[in-house]
Amino acid sequence: MKLRQKLMLLSTLSKAVIAAVLLLALPTVVQTLALRHTDAAMRRELDQVRERIAADGVRDFLPVALDSGHSYYDLLRDEYIELRPADPRRLPTDTLATLARLQDGELVDFRVLRARLTYAGRPYVVEVGKSMASVEDVYGLLNTLAGVALLFAVGSTLLLELTVIQRLLRPVDHIVQGLRAVRGPQAPALPPLRTTTSDFQYLDDAIRQMLRSIEAVFEQERAFIANASHELLTPISILQNRFENMLQAETLPEEAETQLVASQRTLHRLTTTLRTLLLISRVENGQYARPDQVNVADVIAEVLEELEDRLHALDLRVSRHLDGAPVLPAANRSLLFTLFYNLLNNAAKYNEPGGRIDLRGAPDAAGGYSLIIHNTGPAIPLEQVPHVFERFRRAGAGLEEGHGLGLALVRTIADFHGIGVELTSGAEGTTVRLRWE
Amino acid sequence: MNVLIIEDDRALARELGLYLHNDGFLCDFARTGAEAAEKLFVNEYDFVLLDLGLPDQDGLTLLANARRERNQQASILILSARGTLDDRIRGLDLGADDYLPKPYSLLELTSRMKAITRRKHGAPHDVLEIGPFALHVGERIVRHTPTGHEVVFTRKEFDLLHYLLLHRRRVLTRVQLAEHIWGGSGGEGLEPDSNFIDVHVKNLRKKLAAHDPTEWVETVRGVGYRVRATAPDAP
Repeated sequence: MKLRQKLMLLSTLSKAVIAAVLLLALPTVVQTLALRHTDAAMRRELDQVRERIAADGVRDFLPVALDSGHSYYDLLRDEYIELRPADPRRLPTDTLATLARLQDGELVDFRVLRARLTYAGRPYVVEVGKSMASVEDVYGLLNTLAGVALLFAVGSTLLLELTVIQRLLRPVDHIVQGLRAVRGPQAPALPPLRTTTSDFQYLDDAIRQMLRSIEAVFEQERAFIANASHELLTPISILQNRFENMLQAETLPEEAETQLVASQRTLHRLTTTLRTLLLISRVENGQYARPDQVNVADVIAEVLEELEDRLHALDLRVSRHLDGAPVLPAANRSLLFTLFYNLLNNAAKYNEPGGRIDLRGAPDAAGGYSLIIHNTGPAIPLEQVPHVFERFRRAGAGLEEGHGLGLALVRTIADFHGIGVELTSGAEGTTVRLRWE
Repeated sequence: MNVLIIEDDRALARELGLYLHNDGFLCDFARTGAEAAEKLFVNEYDFVLLDLGLPDQDGLTLLANARRERNQQASILILSARGTLDDRIRGLDLGADDYLPKPYSLLELTSRMKAITRRKHGAPHDVLEIGPFALHVGERIVRHTPTGHEVVFTRKEFDLLHYLLLHRRRVLTRVQLAEHIWGGSGGEGLEPDSNFIDVHVKNLRKKLAAHDPTEWVETVRGVGYRVRATAPDAP
């Protein structure tokens, strides 16, 4: 998952959690606040009642009978004030609570403030009440308001954050694109990163630094290869030429001659091993170009012609079915020749006399080309298969010649051309699959 | 033939000089670019063997200069340990006649020198003879002279016979033959297989034997092969 997507997800999730918590808590908060507000209003009314009684007496509140008490409702009947004489032996305590009250024969919830009062030496109880229905109306209104405000806040900040994240992370795309463009030791000059985020600047600087040091390492390796070639190949040349000169001598004893030939053979092995190692290094070091558009079918035909005698001597039959156009648009023809030479030479060398080599190729559904080289040779031991492309690992019976670098070179050249290569082996033979885009 | 050997390694120059001397060449030596430039300015050579890795100068620069001066007719062979494709192409572009990566076989070197001479001085009907057979280099065919029949060889067999005939007085080892046969295949890093030389020689002999009973390619035990100069006396 991309960093951008993760940040967006995080932002959205955290907002969702906050909104959920607030929406759950909102009714309780609103209820508490509304009740507190109602209670305060009732206390003020009670104070007004006390003031009026102190000024005008209790008459206004007790018009009918002194003992019965009376409730005054407002027009909508959701508030009342009641004053009644109290029994001095059983005076009720001052209370603020939600209580049920009888109103027109029905029990209705009221918020009730009850207080004691003494007027002209007589005790009274005064009650101020507000119907809970009116209080709950206020809850609803407050809830809706708070909900809308919350959603608006969450929505707008989310939008803002997503835009900012998008913008902040743009340099990452830039850096990744730059890194993707790097395909070899000579990295293309990347345009400077334009950002005010110091972390990205730091990252960009670090990557540039790294590319420079990779380039330096490749340069060193290039110098090393050149030096190694010279320093190793020159003494080998001397030896090889000396052996040849010694073989010219007319008076050489037969035994010495035989030993010289054996030495020449050993030196020859050393030479080809060294040459192949240098070739692998040069290809890996990017010292080869890919200037040719190469038809692989032509290269294979050329290689088979080259191997003609060998195939004939081992009595091997070769079948070739290459459908479509197996063309590599940017390739090095001479390296590809080596690649197919080594593969087909192996297919011949590690085969049964009278066996078969099958070449099958076809464009595949994904727009690439797949090529299979199959031989009917003995199976490569299972534990060796994963290592066949490593240097100095040789599958099959160890023949006297060959240096175990053939398949390592194949892998190097294949990588250089972006060709995927894999090998499987079983009772029915060994198969090498090549695939390129 | 005069040869200038431009090589900074003394031992290598010595071996090279020794072989060429035995082959009838007159050798002159230069160990630095400056020395070589001076000799090229003063003397005329048929061949210049040029090592690219000189201590004081890049061999390719020397090559470009040499081509402009007195030795315009000289055949120049580059012998280099650098061996990159680039060097090879640039060397040939600058007018070198051939290029041999180090280490090279001296046999191969003299073959190339002979080939250059033939190319330059024109031998269109170059024919090499082996007993009753004639190998036509240009047409790449071998004929049995008494009957006029063509003996059909594969490419490798022809190359092998040609190489043996070029060095007909010498015994050629399997390694020397393998290097010639597979060294010039156009690819690099090919796994050599000198055992296979025996198979080629066997086929070669069989094809010649169909026309003539003499064993023209003889085995020199423990060393390699050689073509017979004359038919052995009848018993």
